[in-house]
Amino acid sequence: MKTGKSPQNTIRLLENISLGSAVFAVVLCVLIIVNFIQIKRADPLNTPAMTALIEKLQSDPGNEQLSQEIQTLDLLARKAFFTAQWQVRTGGYLLFISILLLVSCFKAIELISVKLPKEPAGKPPMFWETRILKRQWLVYSGASLLALTLLLAWLTHKDLGKDLGSGKIQDAGYRMRDDVSPTPNPQSPTPNSQSQIPNSQPQIPNSQPPIPAWQEVQANFPCFRGPGGIGITACTGIPTSWDGKSGKNIKWKTAIPLPGYNSPVIWGDKIFLSGASETKREVYCLDAVSGKILWNSPVEKIPGSPSQAPGVSKETGQAAPSLTTDGQRVYAIFANGDLIALDLDGNPVWSKNLGVPANHYGHSSSLMMYRDILIIQYDQRGAPAVIGLSGKTGEQVWKTARNVKISWASPSLINTGNRMELILAAEPSVASYDPLTGKELWSIDCISGEVGPSLAYAAGIVFSVNEYSTLSAVRIADPPKVLWENNEYLSDVPSPVATDKYLFLVTSYGTAVCYDAVAGTKYWEHDFGNPVYSSPMLAEGKIYIMDKKGMMNIIKADKEFSLLSQCPLGEGSFCTPAFTNGHIFLRGDRNLYCVEK
Amino acid sequence: MPNRREFLNTLMRGGILAALGLLSGALLFRKRDENSCSTGFACNSCSKSKSCSLPAALEARQTVWQLDPAKCIQCGRCATSCVMSPSAVKCTHAYAMCGYCDLCGGYFKPGTKTLTTAAEHQLCPTNALKRKFIEEPFFEYTVDEELCIGCGKCVKGCSAFGNGSLQLQVRHHRCENCNECSIARKCPSQAFTRVPANQPSLLKGLGNERMQDAGKKGEVNA
Amino acid sequence: MRKTNLVPALLAFTTLFPKTVFAIQRFPKPEFESAYTQPQTQIPLPRGEFMAYLDVAVLLIALSVVTWLVLKKRSRLWVFAMSIFSLGYFGFYREGCVCSIGAIQNVSLALFDSTFVLPLSVILFFILPLLFTLFFGRTFCAAVCPFGAIQDLFAFKPQALGSRLNTVLGIIPYLYLGLAVLFAATGTDFIICRYDPFVGIFRFTASFGMFLFTGILLLSGIFIARPYCRFLCPYGVLLNWTSRFSRSHLTITPKECIQCRLCENSCPYDAIDIPVTTKSPESSPVMVKKMMMMVLIVPVLVIAFGYAGSRMQDTLAGVDPRVKLAKEVLSGMRDAGSGMRDAGYKMQDAGYKMQDAGYKMRDAGYKMRDAGYKMRDESFEIKAFKASGKTESQVYSEASAVLKKFYIGGWLFGGFIGLAIALMIGGRMLPVYRADYVTNKGRCFSCARCVDYCPVKS
Repeated sequence: MKTGKSPQNTIRLLENISLGSAVFAVVLCVLIIVNFIQIKRADPLNTPAMTALIEKLQSDPGNEQLSQEIQTLDLLARKAFFTAQWQVRTGGYLLFISILLLVSCFKAIELISVKLPKEPAGKPPMFWETRILKRQWLVYSGASLLALTLLLAWLTHKDLGKDLGSGKIQDAGYRMRDDVSPTPNPQSPTPNSQSQIPNSQPQIPNSQPPIPAWQEVQANFPCFRGPGGIGITACTGIPTSWDGKSGKNIKWKTAIPLPGYNSPVIWGDKIFLSGASETKREVYCLDAVSGKILWNSPVEKIPGSPSQAPGVSKETGQAAPSLTTDGQRVYAIFANGDLIALDLDGNPVWSKNLGVPANHYGHSSSLMMYRDILIIQYDQRGAPAVIGLSGKTGEQVWKTARNVKISWASPSLINTGNRMELILAAEPSVASYDPLTGKELWSIDCISGEVGPSLAYAAGIVFSVNEYSTLSAVRIADPPKVLWENNEYLSDVPSPVATDKYLFLVTSYGTAVCYDAVAGTKYWEHDFGNPVYSSPMLAEGKIYIMDKKGMMNIIKADKEFSLLSQCPLGEGSFCTPAFTNGHIFLRGDRNLYCVEK
Repeated sequence: MPNRREFLNTLMRGGILAALGLLSGALLFRKRDENSCSTGFACNSCSKSKSCSLPAALEARQTVWQLDPAKCIQCGRCATSCVMSPSAVKCTHAYAMCGYCDLCGGYFKPGTKTLTTAAEHQLCPTNALKRKFIEEPFFEYTVDEELCIGCGKCVKGCSAFGNGSLQLQVRHHRCENCNECSIARKCPSQAFTRVPANQPSLLKGLGNERMQDAGKKGEVNA
Repeated sequence: MRKTNLVPALLAFTTLFPKTVFAIQRFPKPEFESAYTQPQTQIPLPRGEFMAYLDVAVLLIALSVVTWLVLKKRSRLWVFAMSIFSLGYFGFYREGCVCSIGAIQNVSLALFDSTFVLPLSVILFFILPLLFTLFFGRTFCAAVCPFGAIQDLFAFKPQALGSRLNTVLGIIPYLYLGLAVLFAATGTDFIICRYDPFVGIFRFTASFGMFLFTGILLLSGIFIARPYCRFLCPYGVLLNWTSRFSRSHLTITPKECIQCRLCENSCPYDAIDIPVTTKSPESSPVMVKKMMMMVLIVPVLVIAFGYAGSRMQDTLAGVDPRVKLAKEVLSGMRDAGSGMRDAGYKMQDAGYKMQDAGYKMRDAGYKMRDAGYKMRDESFEIKAFKASGKTESQVYSEASAVLKKFYIGGWLFGGFIGLAIALMIGGRMLPVYRADYVTNKGRCFSCARCVDYCPVKS
């Protein structure tokens, strides 16, 4: 023992200090908690009183007294906010100091009052018995943990994965909202349910720059028979008089290196077409203003491409399908199944071979683009299907098997008022698909034979026609209904075109006919005398019919027949004209012509 | 018996040592997936480091948290989610971008017609944004960081109506650089990222966009 | 001239609905006529990078000093003094950030995400304590870890917990470790940091709930010494297992145990093993049989727990912000006036039947549905999602990827827990013989308290 204060006294002193600081700490704790709750309950920077006053002031801007009031309140609120913060902070420090004091007192007491170790009373615990107990408890707790987890899993498991998977498909439906306001029709007929499930999850890539809006698509001429592929263009100022031989109204004329029966497609100032021989396939881009070939991109070295081009009929050729474009890339397909995507400068983006189509005349169905999905009607012998590929990557987004014969018709994309539908024709049916998922929406058996003409559409009615078959008008409803049928005049190659009131049909041997679209009554017929392979186009209320010799017959789209003009191209043509405002682009056997007014 | 136990112990120790060695080796010399590079830096084994557009690519060895103003939607959570109170995120003024407008969308409440510094017109709840007349018709706006709580109201106003010169930024002399930023966890737009410690700012309009562009490119790739 | 710029701006300001477009030079750069110069935007720099290596150096020195104090000097007082230093440096000065416990997560994430930057200093913070432990026991816990240090301060009246509670609570750190690695490796969250109870003290700021947790831990720590270290710390699991194979561990007695029993109750952490000289009451053939059973049960346990873990997939993944967003988008898109939409469907059906008149009704249905979309209040997450320009399917596929990770992770996590429990049970079946009072190498924090109780001096 030391002289002076005894350890007991020191310990007592320390105990008193620690008791004091403990009390202080508890009081501080309470104060801090109260302060905290106060701030939580009413954020001084965001009081309803203030908001109300400011609203009042905004309706009464000149009120000086009101602004005075706001200023005072604001000052108070800020003061309250910062004071509260200061209080919490200072309180925290004080609490820390008091606890520090408490702990040091305790530690000091521990140090001073050195207790001699004592032998513990009683026997040491039984080792083996407690060990068995431990084991048992481990088993119990393990079992209850397992049971608890399983119970929890059972209670909370939500099949999130499935939801997300279905969400992805559903999402595709929602994304259509900006075109029209569609809803997948729950009542739509579902005959081949197994064919509706897309083979792969549609992983639609985030395309940058964004997908062109439907309006933008419509302002261009992105595919065979105009936007949507139904033979109608909204372009205006279309020339009605020219002569290819004399050069009258011909702005330019450019020779196309390789032959092809595909029709030109246009985006902005660029015209795209393709040509092919047995050995060579090429995609061309021409300047719409000057007619210069901007680039000529050979399609070669495509993995899976056959070494020998398939046998095709002379009237189909190796490059019958027209191209399509979405303003970012242009896509082309050839008779051997080669599919290529090029950027607008002619650089290949992706390419693949879809397998040589089993098609005795040669593949001729043109490509169609919807948003960022490239749609291919691949109705070949054996495995007919319609395929949706990602335009950006070429990856398959969906593929739907079809129970049809070979078809040479091209897909059409129509806006039925509540959704976009992809409609296809092939024996035996006209069928509609969701262009984003490939899901079949409806189908109706109304066509037969080797279908060449594509479909026409206007005001809720789809028109299908084929030689040795029938001309049918199908109203899209639930279920679809054949409004009328007729088999007096039938077409083998040219597709029909329809307005809200009339249907115009040209037969392959050159007779034009006009029917009432709803009733089916024939208004007139006129024989031009020359065979027609090009599809008639409707522009500015006129029907443009090009015959095989290159003569363009322009007639009024009306129930009275009226021939407005006849313009010779100077060379034969199989192709459907393309339009921009003020211009027609005509592909002859060898040249592409630009006609201006 | 004790010898056998000793031997087993040594064996296990050797095993653990080897495992630790393997682990640290794997961590030190791990290959980076260059294609999924989202930061574009800290790239000791990246084959692209030579052609990398980031000047700091090779030096950066440590990261700090920063928020990308381009992604920020000014939800106000920076003010409430930070481990620090007040938050280490503050409004930062990129003067080089400022239009010095009389009618400042960051300073005034929407609908304000009389442009005075009176409290009823101010957007800032703590009077942290100061307005000073420079010359006709320009006004300088400065942020008093001691008062700023990082709520982002002024930032929202400025980016909606003005040049977007007021931007939220983590002020690193206040930031704890937590292992995982607690604001990042709450941020709805994933604007918080780890950035190189030697290039800690993501302010726009100060000429450091190159870095951000590279960052964005990485995102697209990823 | 310049003033005129403001007129359309004023109009836009007061009349148009604001549309946030980031950083556009809407207003031209001002040309000042007075001598005004623009201030520079100050960008404060973070703490220098070399400072991280200072931390590593301090860690290394502290580890060495504490190890020396524990093994050679055998002084509780000095170990205590060192713990105060560590509390000061790693705790209050470094504010608890850069810590070995949290480094588990950085290491796990770095192993699975090659773009995550793992500084050398963090690797060292993770590896160094393990290395020291592998040779000298848990001297890191004794006086280097600030968490241990602060809890040690409060261990005033430690009570023996009872072997059953000790054992059962001992499972929690395995769960915590497994979860922490799972969440870190999937890039979801750093839960060790998120639920770190002591940084709040070191920083003098934390949320109220966190402070409550801290308070409860420290107060319970008066009676249950070091509750975090014993029943929560995930790094403790790793240290425990490395320490079991340590070369030179702290011993209670410097020379020879004289069986005086003085140290028996000296350990506040229940980490002293009493001598076992008797034979197990269970006959050895029975024991062998039980052991064989155990070996057969291990895979069953691993698979059972793994299955349970994998079934927790959705719940665990629900923590991930990407999955949360996808869920919100999904449910948003579903609720988004799904009632409205259904009404729209019905009207649409009616419309089909009534043909022409029906078209108009159907349109009305669409309008109602769209109103339904608009009516829903958008959360910040949905707003941010819309502002980001991502598509819904992108969000869904991101979330699906995370979900898949959690499925595999769930199996591994469950399997790990199953294995841990199996090992804990199996370990308590092995034969034991020890003549003396010894420290339990796994659980002992090397705090050197027991040393003072031993009457034998070197």
